[in-house]
Amino acid sequence: MRMNLVLELLDVPGQLVSILEPISGLGANLVTVVHRRDAKNEKGKIPVQLTLEGEQENLNRVIKRFDDLNITIVEKDGFTNKEFVSTILIGHIVDRDVRDTTDKINALDGVFVIGFDIKLDGEKKSTALINLEVDPGKKHFAFDKIAEIAGEKDLLMINEV
Amino acid sequence: MKECKIIIMGFGSVGQGIAQAISLKKAMIKERYGVELKVVAAADSSTSAINQDGLEEMLLIHSKNSEGNLSAYPEYGSSISGLDVLDAVDYDLLMEATPTNITTAEPALGLTLKAFEQGKDVVTSNKGHLAIKFGEVTKAAEENGVEFKYEASVGGAMPIINFARETLSSCGINSIVGILNGTTNYILSRMTSEGSPYDITLKESQELGIAETDPTQDVEGIDAACKTVILANSVLGIDATYDDVSVDGISNITSQAIELADKDGYLIKLIAEVSEDTLKVSPRLVKKGSAYDIGGTLNMATIKTDLAGDVTVMGLGAGSLETASAMLTDVISILKVKY
Ligand SMILES: NC(=O)c1ccc[n+]([C@@H]2O[C@H](COP(=O)([O-])OP(=O)(O)OC[C@H]3O[C@@H](n4cnc5c(N)ncnc54)[C@H](OP(=O)(O)O)[C@@H]3O)[C@@H](O)[C@H]2O)c1
Repeated sequence: MRMNLVLELLDVPGQLVSILEPISGLGANLVTVVHRRDAKNEKGKIPVQLTLEGEQENLNRVIKRFDDLNITIVEKDGFTNKEFVSTILIGHIVDRDVRDTTDKINALDGVFVIGFDIKLDGEKKSTALINLEVDPGKKHFAFDKIAEIAGEKDLLMINEV
Repeated sequence: MKECKIIIMGFGSVGQGIAQAISLKKAMIKERYGVELKVVAAADSSTSAINQDGLEEMLLIHSKNSEGNLSAYPEYGSSISGLDVLDAVDYDLLMEATPTNITTAEPALGLTLKAFEQGKDVVTSNKGHLAIKFGEVTKAAEENGVEFKYEASVGGAMPIINFARETLSSCGINSIVGILNGTTNYILSRMTSEGSPYDITLKESQELGIAETDPTQDVEGIDAACKTVILANSVLGIDATYDDVSVDGISNITSQAIELADKDGYLIKLIAEVSEDTLKVSPRLVKKGSAYDIGGTLNMATIKTDLAGDVTVMGLGAGSLETASAMLTDVISILKVKY
Protein backbone atom coordinates (compact mmCIF):
# COMPACT_ATOMS: atom_id res chain seq x y z
CA MET A 1 0.00 0.00 0.00
CA ARG A 2 0.90 3.64 -0.37
CA MET A 3 1.32 6.39 2.17
CA ASN A 4 1.75 10.13 1.63
CA LEU A 5 3.61 12.13 4.22
CA VAL A 6 4.60 15.74 4.65
CA LEU A 7 7.60 16.20 6.92
CA GLU A 8 9.37 19.28 8.18
CA LEU A 9 13.14 19.41 7.93
CA LEU A 10 15.76 21.88 9.01
CA ASP A 11 17.42 23.74 6.18
CA VAL A 12 20.85 22.19 6.66
CA PRO A 13 22.85 20.03 4.25
CA GLY A 14 22.52 16.29 4.76
CA GLN A 15 19.10 16.38 6.45
CA LEU A 16 17.24 14.88 3.52
CA VAL A 17 19.70 12.04 2.94
CA SER A 18 19.72 11.17 6.62
CA ILE A 19 15.98 10.62 6.65
CA LEU A 20 15.76 8.81 3.33
CA GLU A 21 18.47 6.34 4.18
CA PRO A 22 16.55 4.33 6.79
CA ILE A 23 13.47 3.85 4.58
CA SER A 24 14.64 0.97 2.40
CA GLY A 25 16.25 -0.73 5.35
CA LEU A 26 12.84 -0.87 6.99
CA GLY A 27 11.24 -2.65 4.03
CA ALA A 28 9.51 0.34 2.39
CA ASN A 29 10.10 1.86 -1.06
CA LEU A 30 10.34 5.52 -1.79
CA VAL A 31 8.03 6.40 -4.69
CA THR A 32 8.34 10.19 -4.85
CA VAL A 33 10.11 12.96 -2.98
CA VAL A 34 9.28 16.62 -3.34
CA HIS A 35 11.73 18.82 -1.50
CA ARG A 36 11.14 22.52 -1.92
CA ARG A 37 13.90 24.60 -0.42
CA ASP A 38 12.15 27.79 -1.52
CA ALA A 39 9.03 26.99 0.48
CA LYS A 40 10.56 27.58 3.89
CA ASN A 41 7.79 28.08 6.46
CA GLU A 42 7.56 30.65 9.26
CA LYS A 43 9.50 28.35 11.57
CA GLY A 44 12.37 28.31 9.07
CA LYS A 45 11.77 24.66 8.20
CA ILE A 46 11.36 23.08 4.78
CA PRO A 47 8.37 20.90 3.96
CA VAL A 48 9.18 17.60 2.25
CA GLN A 49 6.50 15.49 0.59
CA LEU A 50 7.11 11.76 0.43
CA THR A 51 5.16 8.92 -1.07
CA LEU A 52 6.10 5.51 0.26
CA GLU A 53 5.04 2.03 -0.69
CA GLY A 54 5.20 -1.15 1.37
CA GLU A 55 3.43 -3.44 3.80
CA GLN A 56 1.45 -1.57 6.45
CA GLU A 57 3.71 -2.97 9.13
CA ASN A 58 6.82 -1.66 7.40
CA LEU A 59 5.23 1.74 6.81
CA ASN A 60 4.45 1.92 10.51
CA ARG A 61 8.09 1.18 11.26
CA VAL A 62 9.11 4.11 9.08
CA ILE A 63 6.75 6.41 10.98
CA LYS A 64 8.14 5.13 14.25
CA ARG A 65 11.68 5.76 13.02
CA PHE A 66 10.79 9.34 12.07
CA ASP A 67 9.33 9.83 15.55
CA ASP A 68 12.48 8.44 17.13
CA LEU A 69 14.55 10.83 15.03
CA ASN A 70 12.34 13.67 16.27
CA ILE A 71 11.21 14.50 12.75
CA THR A 72 7.90 16.32 12.67
CA ILE A 73 5.23 14.69 10.51
CA VAL A 74 2.93 17.55 9.54
CA GLU A 75 0.54 15.59 7.40
CA LYS A 76 -0.28 11.93 6.82
CA ASP A 77 -2.42 10.88 3.84
CA GLY A 78 -3.91 14.33 3.51
CA PHE A 79 -4.83 14.72 7.18
CA THR A 80 -3.02 17.24 9.30
CA ASN A 81 -1.33 15.44 12.09
CA LYS A 82 -2.53 17.81 14.84
CA GLU A 83 -2.77 16.72 18.43
CA PHE A 84 -5.83 17.26 20.59
CA VAL A 85 -5.14 17.71 24.27
CA SER A 86 -6.99 18.95 27.32
CA THR A 87 -6.12 20.76 30.48
CA ILE A 88 -8.04 21.87 33.56
CA LEU A 89 -7.53 25.12 35.45
CA ILE A 90 -8.81 25.67 39.00
CA GLY A 91 -8.87 29.02 40.83
CA HIS A 92 -10.31 32.49 40.53
CA ILE A 93 -10.59 32.13 36.78
CA VAL A 94 -13.38 34.64 36.22
CA ASP A 95 -11.90 37.29 38.51
CA ARG A 96 -8.55 36.91 36.79
CA ASP A 97 -10.01 37.65 33.35
CA VAL A 98 -11.05 34.54 31.39
CA ARG A 99 -10.92 36.40 28.10
CA ASP A 100 -7.32 37.39 28.65
CA THR A 101 -6.42 33.78 29.58
CA THR A 102 -7.85 32.30 26.38
CA ASP A 103 -6.40 35.15 24.28
CA LYS A 104 -2.96 34.49 25.72
CA ILE A 105 -3.26 30.78 24.95
CA ASN A 106 -4.46 31.45 21.39
CA ALA A 107 -1.51 33.78 20.89
CA LEU A 108 0.90 30.87 21.41
CA ASP A 109 2.49 29.61 18.22
CA GLY A 110 0.66 26.52 16.92
CA VAL A 111 -1.77 26.31 19.84
CA PHE A 112 -5.52 26.89 19.45
CA VAL A 113 -8.32 26.80 22.01
CA ILE A 114 -11.11 24.71 20.48
CA GLY A 115 -13.25 24.15 23.56
CA PHE A 116 -13.82 25.91 26.85
CA ASP A 117 -16.17 24.73 29.58
CA ILE A 118 -16.37 26.51 32.92
CA LYS A 119 -18.13 25.61 36.16
CA LEU A 120 -18.57 27.99 39.04
CA ASP A 121 -18.63 26.87 42.62
CA GLY A 122 -20.78 29.57 44.24
CA GLU A 123 -18.65 32.46 45.47
CA LYS A 124 -15.62 30.25 45.57
CA LYS A 125 -13.22 29.06 42.95
CA SER A 126 -14.20 28.08 39.46
CA THR A 127 -12.95 25.23 37.34
CA ALA A 128 -12.40 25.29 33.57
CA LEU A 129 -11.73 22.54 31.06
CA ILE A 130 -9.83 23.75 28.02
CA ASN A 131 -9.58 21.66 24.84
CA LEU A 132 -6.64 22.49 22.64
CA GLU A 133 -5.51 21.70 19.14
CA VAL A 134 -1.74 21.82 18.88
CA ASP A 135 0.62 21.51 15.96
CA PRO A 136 2.60 18.27 15.87
CA GLY A 137 5.33 18.14 18.49
CA LYS A 138 4.04 21.23 20.27
CA LYS A 139 2.30 19.55 23.19
CA HIS A 140 5.03 20.15 25.75
CA PHE A 141 5.56 23.69 24.55
CA ALA A 142 1.82 24.36 24.94
CA PHE A 143 1.66 22.89 28.46
CA ASP A 144 4.78 24.77 29.59
CA LYS A 145 3.47 28.10 28.34
CA ILE A 146 -0.03 27.59 29.75
CA ALA A 147 1.58 26.67 33.08
CA GLU A 148 3.29 30.08 33.01
CA ILE A 149 0.01 31.86 32.31
CA ALA A 150 -1.70 29.84 35.07
CA GLY A 151 1.15 30.65 37.44
CA GLU A 152 0.78 34.40 36.87
CA LYS A 153 -2.90 34.12 37.75
CA ASP A 154 -2.43 31.73 40.66
CA LEU A 155 -4.42 28.97 38.99
CA LEU A 156 -3.83 25.27 39.58
CA MET A 157 -3.30 23.47 36.28
CA ILE A 158 -4.05 19.78 35.74
CA ASN A 159 -2.41 18.33 32.66
CA GLU A 160 -2.67 15.13 30.76
CA VAL A 161 -0.14 12.42 31.51
CA MET B 1 20.34 -26.29 59.65
CA LYS B 2 21.34 -22.70 58.88
CA GLU B 3 19.57 -20.04 60.89
CA CYS B 4 18.63 -16.39 60.28
CA LYS B 5 18.06 -14.51 63.53
CA ILE B 6 15.70 -11.58 63.06
CA ILE B 7 14.89 -8.41 65.01
CA ILE B 8 11.57 -6.72 64.15
CA MET B 9 11.74 -2.99 64.93
CA GLY B 10 8.37 -1.24 65.05
CA PHE B 11 5.39 -3.40 65.91
CA GLY B 12 2.42 -1.56 64.41
CA SER B 13 0.52 -2.55 61.31
CA VAL B 14 3.56 -3.60 59.27
CA GLY B 15 5.61 -5.02 62.18
CA GLN B 16 2.75 -7.30 63.12
CA GLY B 17 2.28 -8.23 59.46
CA ILE B 18 5.94 -9.33 59.41
CA ALA B 19 5.42 -11.53 62.45
CA GLN B 20 2.35 -13.09 60.88
CA ALA B 21 4.04 -13.58 57.50
CA ILE B 22 7.03 -15.29 59.14
CA SER B 23 4.71 -17.51 61.12
CA LEU B 24 2.84 -18.48 57.93
CA LYS B 25 5.88 -18.98 55.70
CA LYS B 26 8.77 -20.18 57.88
CA ALA B 27 8.10 -23.85 57.12
CA MET B 28 8.09 -23.16 53.38
CA ILE B 29 11.30 -21.12 53.66
CA LYS B 30 13.00 -23.84 55.68
CA GLU B 31 12.05 -26.48 53.14
CA ARG B 32 12.91 -24.49 50.03
CA TYR B 33 15.93 -22.50 51.12
CA GLY B 34 17.21 -24.59 53.99
CA VAL B 35 17.25 -21.69 56.44
CA GLU B 36 15.35 -21.43 59.68
CA LEU B 37 13.92 -17.97 60.43
CA LYS B 38 13.98 -17.12 64.11
CA VAL B 39 12.58 -13.90 65.60
CA VAL B 40 14.93 -13.13 68.50
CA ALA B 41 13.53 -9.67 69.33
CA ALA B 42 10.61 -7.41 68.53
CA ALA B 43 10.27 -3.82 69.72
CA ASP B 44 7.76 -0.98 69.74
CA SER B 45 8.35 2.64 70.76
CA SER B 46 9.12 1.92 74.41
CA THR B 47 9.32 -1.80 75.10
CA SER B 48 10.41 -5.09 73.59
CA ALA B 49 10.40 -8.85 73.82
CA ILE B 50 13.81 -10.50 73.59
CA ASN B 51 14.84 -14.15 73.63
CA GLN B 52 17.99 -15.56 72.06
CA ASP B 53 16.22 -18.90 71.61
CA GLY B 54 13.41 -17.35 69.61
CA LEU B 55 9.99 -15.83 70.24
CA GLU B 56 6.62 -17.05 69.09
CA GLU B 57 5.34 -14.78 66.34
CA MET B 58 1.62 -15.07 67.05
CA LEU B 59 2.18 -14.62 70.78
CA LEU B 60 4.00 -11.36 70.06
CA ILE B 61 0.93 -10.07 68.18
CA HIS B 62 -1.38 -11.26 70.92
CA SER B 63 0.68 -9.62 73.68
CA LYS B 64 0.94 -6.33 71.80
CA ASN B 65 -2.77 -6.19 71.08
CA SER B 66 -3.97 -7.22 74.51
CA GLU B 67 -1.69 -4.97 76.60
CA GLY B 68 -0.66 -2.29 74.09
CA ASN B 69 3.05 -3.03 74.44
CA LEU B 70 5.51 -5.83 73.92
CA SER B 71 6.71 -5.93 77.52
CA ALA B 72 3.53 -7.94 78.06
CA TYR B 73 5.15 -10.93 76.29
CA PRO B 74 5.31 -13.76 78.84
CA GLU B 75 8.69 -14.18 80.52
CA TYR B 76 10.69 -12.36 77.81
CA GLY B 77 8.96 -8.96 77.86
CA SER B 78 11.43 -6.15 78.60
CA SER B 79 11.78 -2.40 78.94
CA ILE B 80 14.78 -2.29 76.61
CA SER B 81 13.97 -0.14 73.57
CA GLY B 82 15.41 1.72 70.58
CA LEU B 83 19.09 1.27 69.69
CA ASP B 84 19.73 -0.76 72.85
CA VAL B 85 17.72 -3.66 71.44
CA LEU B 86 20.43 -4.14 68.81
CA ASP B 87 22.98 -4.68 71.59
CA ALA B 88 20.77 -6.89 73.73
CA VAL B 89 20.73 -9.93 71.48
CA ASP B 90 22.77 -11.70 68.83
CA TYR B 91 21.05 -11.30 65.44
CA ASP B 92 21.66 -11.49 61.67
CA LEU B 93 19.00 -9.30 60.10
CA LEU B 94 17.01 -6.23 61.11
CA MET B 95 13.48 -5.85 59.77
CA GLU B 96 12.68 -2.21 60.31
CA ALA B 97 9.08 -0.89 60.26
CA THR B 98 9.13 2.20 62.45
CA PRO B 99 7.20 5.36 61.44
CA THR B 100 8.41 7.35 58.43
CA ASN B 101 9.90 10.71 59.38
CA ILE B 102 10.99 12.98 56.56
CA THR B 103 12.58 15.73 58.65
CA THR B 104 14.99 13.79 60.87
CA ALA B 105 14.65 10.30 59.27
CA GLU B 106 14.77 8.91 62.84
CA PRO B 107 14.50 6.38 64.37
CA ALA B 108 15.09 4.51 61.08
CA LEU B 109 18.38 6.19 60.21
CA GLY B 110 20.10 5.54 63.56
CA LEU B 111 18.85 1.97 63.75
CA THR B 112 19.88 1.18 60.19
CA LEU B 113 23.36 2.67 60.43
CA LYS B 114 23.98 0.90 63.72
CA ALA B 115 22.90 -2.44 62.23
CA PHE B 116 25.26 -1.86 59.27
CA GLU B 117 28.15 -1.09 61.62
CA GLN B 118 27.42 -4.33 63.44
CA GLY B 119 27.67 -6.09 60.06
CA LYS B 120 23.97 -6.95 59.89
CA ASP B 121 21.63 -6.96 56.88
CA VAL B 122 18.58 -4.68 56.90
CA VAL B 123 15.15 -4.93 55.24
CA THR B 124 12.88 -1.89 55.60
CA SER B 125 9.45 -0.52 54.67
CA ASN B 126 10.40 2.98 55.84
CA LYS B 127 10.63 5.90 53.39
CA GLY B 128 12.11 8.69 55.53
CA HIS B 129 15.83 7.88 55.48
CA LEU B 130 15.61 6.79 51.83
CA ALA B 131 13.88 10.01 50.76
CA ILE B 132 16.31 12.37 52.44
CA LYS B 133 19.56 10.39 52.70
CA PHE B 134 19.46 7.69 50.05
CA GLY B 135 23.11 8.07 49.04
CA GLU B 136 24.44 8.08 52.58
CA VAL B 137 22.48 5.02 53.67
CA THR B 138 23.17 2.85 50.62
CA LYS B 139 26.85 3.81 50.74
CA ALA B 140 27.05 2.80 54.41
CA ALA B 141 25.56 -0.60 53.51
CA GLU B 142 28.16 -1.08 50.79
CA GLU B 143 31.05 0.00 52.99
CA ASN B 144 30.02 -2.50 55.63
CA GLY B 145 29.51 -5.25 53.08
CA VAL B 146 25.90 -5.90 54.12
CA GLU B 147 22.62 -6.27 52.25
CA PHE B 148 20.05 -3.47 52.34
CA LYS B 149 16.61 -4.00 50.78
CA TYR B 150 13.62 -1.69 50.64
CA GLU B 151 11.09 -3.07 48.14
CA ALA B 152 8.14 -2.41 50.51
CA SER B 153 8.94 1.31 50.78
CA VAL B 154 7.42 1.95 47.33
CA GLY B 155 4.05 0.50 46.41
CA GLY B 156 3.72 -1.93 49.33
CA ALA B 157 3.00 -5.30 47.74
CA MET B 158 3.27 -4.00 44.16
CA PRO B 159 6.58 -5.26 42.74
CA ILE B 160 8.59 -2.36 41.37
CA ILE B 161 12.15 -1.84 42.62
CA ASN B 162 13.43 -5.40 42.37
CA PHE B 163 11.24 -5.92 39.30
CA ALA B 164 12.74 -2.97 37.43
CA ARG B 165 16.31 -3.70 38.56
CA GLU B 166 16.35 -7.47 38.24
CA THR B 167 13.54 -8.74 36.03
CA LEU B 168 14.07 -5.91 33.53
CA SER B 169 17.85 -5.87 33.92
CA SER B 170 18.50 -6.05 30.15
CA CYS B 171 16.69 -2.74 29.65
CA GLY B 172 17.58 0.86 30.12
CA ILE B 173 14.78 2.57 32.03
CA ASN B 174 13.77 5.98 30.72
CA SER B 175 10.99 6.85 33.11
CA ILE B 176 8.44 5.60 35.60
CA VAL B 177 4.99 7.16 35.72
CA GLY B 178 2.47 5.91 38.22
CA ILE B 179 -0.02 6.15 41.03
CA LEU B 180 2.00 5.60 44.19
CA ASN B 181 -0.44 6.59 46.91
CA GLY B 182 -3.50 4.46 47.64
CA THR B 183 -5.27 6.90 49.97
CA THR B 184 -5.46 9.71 47.43
CA ASN B 185 -6.44 7.26 44.71
CA TYR B 186 -9.30 6.11 46.92
CA ILE B 187 -10.44 9.69 47.59
CA LEU B 188 -10.30 10.69 43.91
CA SER B 189 -12.07 7.49 42.83
CA ARG B 190 -14.88 8.15 45.35
CA MET B 191 -15.19 11.77 44.25
CA THR B 192 -15.59 10.48 40.69
CA SER B 193 -18.12 7.76 41.43
CA GLU B 194 -20.14 9.71 44.01
CA GLY B 195 -19.77 13.25 42.68
CA SER B 196 -18.94 14.24 46.27
CA PRO B 197 -16.76 17.20 47.29
CA TYR B 198 -13.20 16.74 48.56
CA ASP B 199 -13.79 17.60 52.24
CA ILE B 200 -16.65 15.16 52.70
CA THR B 201 -14.88 12.37 50.83
CA LEU B 202 -11.77 12.86 52.96
CA LYS B 203 -13.80 12.69 56.16
CA GLU B 204 -15.54 9.53 55.00
CA SER B 205 -12.17 7.94 54.13
CA GLN B 206 -10.91 8.79 57.61
CA GLU B 207 -13.95 7.12 59.17
CA LEU B 208 -13.24 4.01 57.11
CA GLY B 209 -9.62 4.02 58.34
CA ILE B 210 -8.29 4.50 54.80
CA ALA B 211 -7.06 8.03 55.40
CA GLU B 212 -5.15 8.82 58.58
CA THR B 213 -6.35 11.27 61.25
CA ASP B 214 -3.65 13.62 60.02
CA PRO B 215 -3.92 13.05 56.26
CA THR B 216 -1.28 15.64 55.29
CA GLN B 217 1.41 13.16 54.16
CA ASP B 218 -0.99 11.53 51.73
CA VAL B 219 -3.20 14.35 50.43
CA GLU B 220 -0.42 16.89 50.00
CA GLY B 221 1.57 14.41 47.90
CA ILE B 222 4.43 14.08 50.42
CA ASP B 223 4.22 10.29 50.61
CA ALA B 224 4.18 9.95 46.82
CA ALA B 225 7.10 12.39 46.58
CA CYS B 226 9.18 10.22 48.96
CA LYS B 227 8.49 7.23 46.72
CA THR B 228 9.44 9.31 43.68
CA VAL B 229 12.83 9.98 45.26
CA ILE B 230 13.35 6.32 46.11
CA LEU B 231 12.56 5.23 42.54
CA ALA B 232 14.72 7.99 41.07
CA ASN B 233 17.73 6.83 43.08
CA SER B 234 17.25 3.08 43.09
CA VAL B 235 15.94 2.46 39.57
CA LEU B 236 17.04 5.41 37.44
CA GLY B 237 20.28 6.13 39.28
CA ILE B 238 19.41 9.81 39.73
CA ASP B 239 21.11 11.34 42.74
CA ALA B 240 18.00 13.15 44.01
CA THR B 241 16.56 13.99 47.37
CA TYR B 242 13.12 15.05 48.61
CA ASP B 243 13.72 18.74 47.89
CA ASP B 244 14.27 18.02 44.19
CA VAL B 245 10.66 16.90 43.69
CA SER B 246 7.98 19.38 42.65
CA VAL B 247 4.94 18.46 44.72
CA ASP B 248 1.25 19.31 44.40
CA GLY B 249 -1.38 17.36 46.31
CA ILE B 250 -5.09 16.82 45.78
CA SER B 251 -6.61 19.14 48.39
CA ASN B 252 -7.46 21.77 45.77
CA ILE B 253 -9.26 19.39 43.44
CA THR B 254 -12.90 20.42 43.09
CA SER B 255 -15.78 18.09 42.27
CA GLN B 256 -16.36 20.40 39.28
CA ALA B 257 -12.90 19.52 37.94
CA ILE B 258 -13.66 15.83 38.25
CA GLU B 259 -17.02 16.32 36.51
CA LEU B 260 -15.52 18.32 33.63
CA ALA B 261 -12.76 15.77 33.17
CA ASP B 262 -15.27 12.94 33.22
CA LYS B 263 -17.37 14.60 30.51
CA ASP B 264 -14.29 14.78 28.30
CA GLY B 265 -13.30 11.13 28.84
CA TYR B 266 -10.72 11.73 31.58
CA LEU B 267 -10.13 10.94 35.23
CA ILE B 268 -8.04 12.98 37.64
CA LYS B 269 -5.29 11.01 39.39
CA LEU B 270 -2.37 11.91 41.62
CA ILE B 271 0.52 10.98 39.34
CA ALA B 272 4.19 10.60 40.18
CA GLU B 273 6.59 11.11 37.30
CA VAL B 274 10.19 9.98 37.56
CA SER B 275 12.69 10.70 34.80
CA GLU B 276 16.06 12.34 34.25
CA ASP B 277 14.35 15.71 33.54
CA THR B 278 11.26 15.49 35.73
CA LEU B 279 10.65 14.56 39.34
CA LYS B 280 7.11 15.52 39.98
CA VAL B 281 3.97 14.62 41.90
CA SER B 282 0.82 16.36 40.71
CA PRO B 283 -2.83 15.82 39.86
CA ARG B 284 -3.07 14.89 36.17
CA LEU B 285 -5.68 13.98 33.59
CA VAL B 286 -5.58 10.35 32.49
CA LYS B 287 -7.72 8.70 29.82
CA LYS B 288 -10.53 6.48 31.01
CA GLY B 289 -9.73 2.88 30.19
CA SER B 290 -5.96 3.52 30.16
CA ALA B 291 -3.50 1.73 32.44
CA TYR B 292 -3.87 4.64 34.88
CA ASP B 293 -7.60 3.96 35.27
CA ILE B 294 -7.43 1.99 38.54
CA GLY B 295 -9.85 2.37 41.45
CA GLY B 296 -9.77 2.04 45.21
CA THR B 297 -6.47 2.00 47.08
CA LEU B 298 -4.55 0.25 44.29
CA ASN B 299 -1.15 1.45 43.11
CA MET B 300 0.27 1.15 39.59
CA ALA B 301 3.33 2.18 37.64
CA THR B 302 4.29 2.17 33.98
CA ILE B 303 7.98 1.62 33.43
CA LYS B 304 9.17 2.97 30.08
CA THR B 305 12.12 0.95 28.83
CA ASP B 306 14.35 1.06 25.77
CA LEU B 307 14.05 -2.60 24.75
CA ALA B 308 10.82 -3.89 26.27
CA GLY B 309 8.61 -0.89 25.57
CA ASP B 310 6.18 0.00 28.34
CA VAL B 311 5.72 -2.44 31.18
CA THR B 312 2.95 -1.79 33.70
CA VAL B 313 2.66 -3.22 37.22
CA MET B 314 -0.24 -2.93 39.63
CA GLY B 315 -0.94 -4.09 43.18
CA LEU B 316 -1.93 -3.25 46.71
CA GLY B 317 0.12 -0.29 47.92
CA ALA B 318 -0.55 -0.81 51.61
CA GLY B 319 -1.86 -3.24 54.18
CA SER B 320 -0.27 -5.16 56.99
CA LEU B 321 0.33 -8.59 55.47
CA GLU B 322 0.63 -7.19 51.92
CA THR B 323 3.50 -4.88 52.88
CA ALA B 324 5.09 -7.64 54.96
CA SER B 325 5.01 -9.92 51.91
CA ALA B 326 7.35 -7.56 50.05
CA MET B 327 9.68 -7.48 53.06
CA LEU B 328 9.72 -11.26 53.35
CA THR B 329 10.57 -11.49 49.64
CA ASP B 330 13.52 -9.20 50.35
CA VAL B 331 14.58 -11.49 53.20
CA ILE B 332 14.42 -14.51 50.88
CA SER B 333 16.56 -12.78 48.28
CA ILE B 334 19.17 -12.19 51.01
CA LEU B 335 18.96 -15.83 52.11
CA LYS B 336 19.60 -16.89 48.52
CA VAL B 337 22.86 -14.97 48.20
CA LYS B 338 24.24 -15.14 51.73
CA TYR B 339 23.10 -18.29 53.45
N1 LIG C 1 0.94 0.57 56.66
C1 LIG C 1 1.29 0.24 55.44
O1 LIG C 1 0.52 -0.37 54.73
C2 LIG C 1 2.65 0.62 54.91
C3 LIG C 1 2.98 0.33 53.57
C4 LIG C 1 4.27 0.61 53.08
C5 LIG C 1 5.19 1.20 53.94
N2 LIG C 1 4.85 1.52 55.25
C6 LIG C 1 5.85 2.09 56.14
O2 LIG C 1 6.14 1.14 57.15
C7 LIG C 1 6.45 1.79 58.38
C8 LIG C 1 5.54 1.28 59.47
O3 LIG C 1 4.19 1.59 59.14
P1 LIG C 1 2.96 1.13 60.05
O4 LIG C 1 1.74 1.35 59.27
O5 LIG C 1 3.22 -0.22 60.62
O6 LIG C 1 3.04 2.21 61.24
P2 LIG C 1 2.37 2.12 62.67
O7 LIG C 1 1.21 1.18 62.63
O8 LIG C 1 2.20 3.49 63.15
O9 LIG C 1 3.51 1.39 63.56
C9 LIG C 1 4.71 1.98 63.89
C10 LIG C 1 5.39 1.15 64.96
O10 LIG C 1 6.69 1.70 65.22
C11 LIG C 1 6.84 1.83 66.62
N3 LIG C 1 7.81 2.87 66.94
C12 LIG C 1 7.64 4.22 67.00
N4 LIG C 1 8.78 4.82 67.35
C13 LIG C 1 9.69 3.84 67.54
C14 LIG C 1 11.04 3.81 67.96
N5 LIG C 1 11.71 4.94 68.24
N6 LIG C 1 11.68 2.62 68.06
C15 LIG C 1 11.02 1.46 67.79
N7 LIG C 1 9.74 1.43 67.41
C16 LIG C 1 9.08 2.60 67.29
C17 LIG C 1 5.46 2.11 67.15
O11 LIG C 1 5.44 1.84 68.54
P3 LIG C 1 4.10 1.91 69.43
O12 LIG C 1 3.32 0.68 69.04
O13 LIG C 1 4.62 1.83 70.81
O14 LIG C 1 3.42 3.18 69.08
C18 LIG C 1 4.65 1.15 66.29
O15 LIG C 1 4.69 -0.14 66.85
C19 LIG C 1 6.31 3.27 58.12
O16 LIG C 1 7.58 3.82 57.87
C20 LIG C 1 5.43 3.34 56.87
O17 LIG C 1 5.70 4.48 56.11
C21 LIG C 1 3.60 1.22 55.73
